Amino acid sequence: MPAPAVLWLVAGLLGAPMASAVHDTTTAAPDAVRDAVRDSVPGQQPPVFDASRFDSLTAVGLRVLLDSATAEGIPTGPLINRALEGAARRVPGARILQVVRAHAVALVQAREALGPGTPVMELDAGATALRAGVDSRSLVAIRGTRAAGAAMIPIVVLTDIVQRGIPAVTARDAVTTIARQPASDDLLKGLQLTVARNAVRGPGMAADALARYLRGTVNGVLPSSAPATTDRKPIRPPVP
Amino acid sequence: MADRDPLPLVPAEADDPALVARLTALYAATPLPPEGQAEQCARAVLARAMHQPVRAADGVPRIRWWWGAAAAAILVLGVRITTTRDRTGVPAPATATPELAGTVTPTRAGLRFEIQLPDAAQQVALVGDFNGWSASATPMVRRGPQGGWAAEIPLTPGRHEYAFVVDGRRWVIDPLAPQVPDAGFGPSNAVVVEGGSE
Repeated sequence: MPAPAVLWLVAGLLGAPMASAVHDTTTAAPDAVRDAVRDSVPGQQPPVFDASRFDSLTAVGLRVLLDSATAEGIPTGPLINRALEGAARRVPGARILQVVRAHAVALVQAREALGPGTPVMELDAGATALRAGVDSRSLVAIRGTRAAGAAMIPIVVLTDIVQRGIPAVTARDAVTTIARQPASDDLLKGLQLTVARNAVRGPGMAADALARYLRGTVNGVLPSSAPATTDRKPIRPPVP
Repeated sequence: MADRDPLPLVPAEADDPALVARLTALYAATPLPPEGQAEQCARAVLARAMHQPVRAADGVPRIRWWWGAAAAAILVLGVRITTTRDRTGVPAPATATPELAGTVTPTRAGLRFEIQLPDAAQQVALVGDFNGWSASATPMVRRGPQGGWAAEIPLTPGRHEYAFVVDGRRWVIDPLAPQVPDAGFGPSNAVVVEGGSE
């Protein structure tokens, strides 16, 4: 039996209260001031699950997934965002369900790594980093350098440079080394831009640029896993 | 001729002493060559040695001085051709401006998203988690005939994923912006962190 059919049956057994619960968690409005801010700033509005953007089977499956996430204490906003993105890209419903479920699992892992009290946006960034190939220990290391709510940029930069071909351990060492410095968000953004500019020439050039940037930024403090650089003079091999 | 020391043509223990004596006498009676004949002979041997064939007697090619010069010339030409190809942009050097360039700059009203598209687009929209990924929510405005498009929206502090939708079907992002991996839907999205995290 295909997964959507199973979800359909589960949704039918659970009935309408589940759907209304999901709706309540995503559209609740605490006070008038917050409503006014939401009306004026689009980014402030929490994502609302709009079932009309999906076919009926996918919409029911998503409601089941969101309800399960609510029961687990997982924030539903990032999951709804993923689903809406899939609908905007005209992806088949089964694929949307698969991606949303994978993101929910990643959110759970990110919460375990980053700890309780982590803001939703930071959790979402952590889940995205895990999907990019960053391991949980890297998230724990970043949490060791920044408090909850202050680790957004390190996680975003780590995700980006790993995706551009920097080895995960090298990237983690570089990001945590810079993130330990006070007021280092701009330095981290500079690291991301440097790696991005050099990544078009290949991962080796990106790694070399990372090492150079780190040397120039942290006054000679190099992580132990820094890659070899090409600025060394070539050593002539011994004549046999 | 008396001071000449004839060579021992035959060993001393030869059986026929008469023959030895006769040969020795004949050799001693041979007149010396003229003065210039030795020099002429030496010149002939030297000239022959200078025009030896490429292969030596054992089949191994002789090393010629101009082989090194030819190898050096080929090396220089190869390096020069490679350098010229790099200069034309294939592959693109790090300092080259990518064909697709975008910027996100903070303004008083929020964030200003700009993108430079190399090809002619009819309409461009900004989509992201701030507008429900709706291609009709935030259309971008053309900035001139050079392919520039811009949109300015208010955003709350935090992390936002976004992309540009060209002509309603093609999703593109700024290649230098922070990116997130493909979630399973297709091309990656870009990320902007408004307000910093410290």
